[in-house]
Amino acid sequence: MKLLRIIQAALCVLLLLPFSVGVSLASSGGPALPQQSWGFHGPFGQFDTAALKRGAQVVVEVCLACHSLKYIKFDQLKQVGFTEMEVNALASTAGKNRKDALLSAMDADAAKESFGIVPPDLSLMTKARKGYENYLYGILTGYLKDEDKAAVDRALEDDTVSDAEVKELAMLLSMDPHHPDKIREVARRIKSGDNFNKFFPGNFFAMPAPLAADGQVTYRDGTHGSIAQMSHDAVTFLAWAAEPTMADRKSAGIKVILYLIVLTVMLYAVKRRIWARIHH
Amino acid sequence: MFKSIMAWVDERLPITEVIKSQAIEYPTPKNLNYWWNFGSLALMVLIIQLVSGIFLAMHYKPDAKLAFDAVEHIMRDVNWGWLLRYMHATGATFFFIAVYIHILRGMYYGSHRSPREILWWIGVIIFFLLMATAFMGYVLPWGQMSFWGAAVITNLMSAIPVIGEDLVVWVWGGFSVGDPTLNRFFALHFLLPFVVIGAVGVHVWALHAVHSNNPEGIDLEHKDTIPFHPYYTIKDLYGMGVFLILFCVFVFFAPNFFLEPDNYIQADPMKTPAHIVPEWYFLPFYAILRSIDFLGQMSKLVGVIAMGAAIAILFVLPFLDRSPVRSFRYRPISSKLFWIFVVDCFVLGWVGYNPADAVVLGSLPIVYVGRAATAVYFSYFFLLWFITVFKIERPLPVPKSL
Ligand code: HEC
Ligand code: HEM
Repeated sequence: MKLLRIIQAALCVLLLLPFSVGVSLASSGGPALPQQSWGFHGPFGQFDTAALKRGAQVVVEVCLACHSLKYIKFDQLKQVGFTEMEVNALASTAGKNRKDALLSAMDADAAKESFGIVPPDLSLMTKARKGYENYLYGILTGYLKDEDKAAVDRALEDDTVSDAEVKELAMLLSMDPHHPDKIREVARRIKSGDNFNKFFPGNFFAMPAPLAADGQVTYRDGTHGSIAQMSHDAVTFLAWAAEPTMADRKSAGIKVILYLIVLTVMLYAVKRRIWARIHH
Repeated sequence: MFKSIMAWVDERLPITEVIKSQAIEYPTPKNLNYWWNFGSLALMVLIIQLVSGIFLAMHYKPDAKLAFDAVEHIMRDVNWGWLLRYMHATGATFFFIAVYIHILRGMYYGSHRSPREILWWIGVIIFFLLMATAFMGYVLPWGQMSFWGAAVITNLMSAIPVIGEDLVVWVWGGFSVGDPTLNRFFALHFLLPFVVIGAVGVHVWALHAVHSNNPEGIDLEHKDTIPFHPYYTIKDLYGMGVFLILFCVFVFFAPNFFLEPDNYIQADPMKTPAHIVPEWYFLPFYAILRSIDFLGQMSKLVGVIAMGAAIAILFVLPFLDRSPVRSFRYRPISSKLFWIFVVDCFVLGWVGYNPADAVVLGSLPIVYVGRAATAVYFSYFFLLWFITVFKIERPLPVPKSL
């Protein structure tokens, strides 16, 4: 009955993988990443076409102002379900035609001037950070809301941050309340206009909140563009862009593994037959 | 027709005779357990690596400006390119899984003991070659971890007195890891697997000269052996099926499980990653290297020596163990030491994975764990010698035959 045990073990691995891969290796410090559900995770998970199309719209209309996706051409967007007409329309919103790659209109020098850094290419971004999709979602949603910013300003009004205010800010900024000096420093930087993000390691970076207003993107399919919705869609699209062959991979994988299981069961049966001749 | 052609060939090159005596009738112990499957599994992964590697090499460009894009080109544009690359990257991991189990099997059942020393030594050489091959292969995608891993590891050579600094420059082909380094690593990464193939040939030759050990660790009479075919051909095939299922689960459903996210960022010599980690299969040795940090100026050199010694000590293992009994089945102390050693390897791996300045269990700097685990690692070899040379261990009675 070793065979049964092996099949059980293999099944367990198959079943557990989607969970174990999703577990983020959150680096020390920093708040835990938001754990979103991603329909395309797991052996049977595939991309949701509607979400991909919405995400493509967010990425082209918003992110492409600063970032490129150099490995993707507009034409390839047909693979996510756009018609040729839609592809042309999308390309023209970015001032491109469908044969072009998704390159930002902002060149490296201009970016350096504005941000002090060239915004990284997004084609591989969901694979290039610990926490993967959840990290990206965290980055897009981890900025302070207007009322949080107001609270920071209020705390700094009299130029000193009292211990009570430190506690409040620690909650607000998801920071460790045991380091009041650090919190005071962070509050000052927020007030001076630096971009604070709960989930970016070190909290401050050069990207101003790209998705800051409810309804910033008017979806063609009529879905309401809340910040959470836009972020989820954009990350879904970026996950596709990081690996457009994922669908092929998983469908091939299911066939290959089923085939191997049948083959292995048969090999085991033959092995038992042959070894039955040996008396221990 | 076929018979007469074979007869003609056999008169000139005795193929039939060799296959018959070495693969069909070849007498094999009848009591081998499933731990004996891992040799053929390692061979299977070697073939997977060779085939996928050669096809990858047809699309890859060993140029610092092009390499990263070339791997993405393979992933996105080459037909089944993603499969080639994921098989190759996952294959490296499964190669080490197979080889580590294979080595531990030998250590537990005393397969390195007389008369199998040369067989064992060739195995250790293969292990060295494999580590070199995997290390250089990991540099080829030219991501951040490729670059910085290569920088950290090659830099270790600078610890060698007198010639160290010049040696590193010579290996790099410049004053830092760069395009020339990538180029030569590609050449060597292409070459070394074929050297491994040669070494595997000698390994099997040596095996067939002295024959397999077995779980009892005793010399068998002819009645306790069975022909290799069909008994072990079918058992090996079955093992390959199980191993391939596991392998394919990772290739198709979690191909990035063993890859570092940082390696999807193109190499940038100006930007050091927050935390440089080698591939998992190097972690125990990396931990040993880093745990020697208390000797001031000498730390680096001694660390490198300790890391090398951790593997090289396998060469003398056959002479350290003086017990009259091979198999740990009959050796109550050795078998306990063995399992402590195995757990210790995992502890070292965990230490190697963490940043050098990490603090664990509240307030314990992880280097202390690393130093203790390093001491345990080497103590295993010392104690094995100690308890056998002074006959402290009393082996249980061993059967004369099966
Ligand atoms: C106004 C310009 C701008 C826009 C618009 C913009 N970004 Fe950024 N982004 C930046 C800059 C600049 C950086 C570099 C930040 C740094 O490393 O300091 C960055 C960095 C990032 C990072 C990397 C964070 C990290 O961990 O290093 C991600 C992910 C990202 N942007 C996603 C997006 C997405 C998704 C969008 C569209 C919804 C977007 N960005 C829109 C300017 C922009
Ligand atoms: C001993 C067997 C081998 C081992 C252990 C091995 C290991 C590796 C590893 C770890 C990588 C990096 C994978 C990644 O992160 O993408 C790699 C890449 C590569 N290997 Fe090998 N390899 C072996 C044999 C071969 C052979 C025989 C060839 C060709 C003749 C080859 C060609 C390549 C190429 C072109 C790459 C770069 C593409 C890529 O990164 O995917 N390898 N190898």
